[in-house]
Amino acid sequence: MAMSFEWPWQYRFPPFFTLQPNVDTRQKQLAAWCSLVLSFCRLHKQSSMTVMEAQESPLFNNVKLQRKLPVESIQIVLEELRKKGNLEWLDKNKSSFLIMWRRPEEWGKLIYQWVSRSGQNNSVFTLYELTNGDDTENEEFHGLDEATLLRALQALQQEHKAEIITISDGRGVKFF
Amino acid sequence: MSKQLDMFKTHLEEFASKHKQEIRKNPEFRVQFQDMCATIGVDPLASGKGFWSEMLGVGDFYYELGVQIIEVCLALKHRNGGLITLEELHQQVLKGRGKFAQDVSQDDLIRAIKKLKALGTGFGIIPVGGTYLIQSVPAELNMDHTVVLQLAEKSGYVTVSDIKASLNWETERARQVLEHLLKEGLAWLDLQAPGEAHYWLPALFTDLYSQEITAEEAREALP
Repeated sequence: MAMSFEWPWQYRFPPFFTLQPNVDTRQKQLAAWCSLVLSFCRLHKQSSMTVMEAQESPLFNNVKLQRKLPVESIQIVLEELRKKGNLEWLDKNKSSFLIMWRRPEEWGKLIYQWVSRSGQNNSVFTLYELTNGDDTENEEFHGLDEATLLRALQALQQEHKAEIITISDGRGVKFF
Repeated sequence: MSKQLDMFKTHLEEFASKHKQEIRKNPEFRVQFQDMCATIGVDPLASGKGFWSEMLGVGDFYYELGVQIIEVCLALKHRNGGLITLEELHQQVLKGRGKFAQDVSQDDLIRAIKKLKALGTGFGIIPVGGTYLIQSVPAELNMDHTVVLQLAEKSGYVTVSDIKASLNWETERARQVLEHLLKEGLAWLDLQAPGEAHYWLPALFTDLYSQEITAEEAREALP
């Protein structure tokens, strides 16, 4: 259930929904938008979205204020998020995207820290165990969506700290 | 004449020493005291040592207040471009001082800011609609700019039409001022307002008032 979300002051500021012509002001504006998108998605546990959904979402459409961020500007915000590593396009047409309020490398780090702390290097886990097992109930990555989890493990794989493997009924991971 | 002045000075000294604590604690007292000093041409805030600042520590009080004002302005600069209303400045300064600190009035703030101005720190005081806008960045603001700021004070925004109607200017003159405010980061452009483009000033956006200074903003204020 989504708790009451606290909108930042910019969300009630009408010009926030117009891409600013002044370069410095625009930088502040885009930084605020990126921050808002990530906290919104985090709270609503939304890991993926289509651009069409985004346009109509309260995130970019403040009905009460009668302002909405035009789609070209939404694309600019999404591109900023992609550059920062928090967003990945899921299709060539850039119509839907994965949104990760924590970058995959950061998730990977957390997961690996838990593995080491609990002395489970060289153990094998199913993906399900990692995100839904009792053992990880108190960990931040508990409940993480599969797409983000995979990318986190891929990041660890790159560092030779893990290997994604195929097991009987799906995928798993071995940690080193 | 000079004998009378001497007598007055003596009275003033007695008053000051008797009410030292109150002067430090009570804003109304401070105003009264300042007025008395002004009457005989004494400036208790004269920089450096001096009978008054030493005796009362009044100089310290305003110096410390000046530092606080600078901190608040720096912390909020990225939100409002370096322009803040006296009200908001007052609220934030009081918040920063906490429950047990000495009470500070808007009059105190103005005096401290005037001191800062005199030291050449780029501070400015702009009268708008019954209050003041405090400018803490050396943005070039001439008469045209300040009069448009005054116009914007009522609703937080201003349009070319507003300017033409109230000030009787040509379109081009109005546009130039608005462009300048955008360029200085004091105004944001709103293209979805009914009718024509609206130019909003975060400094006048009442929704923003007394919003907590975030940890990030506080870090901005540190040298």
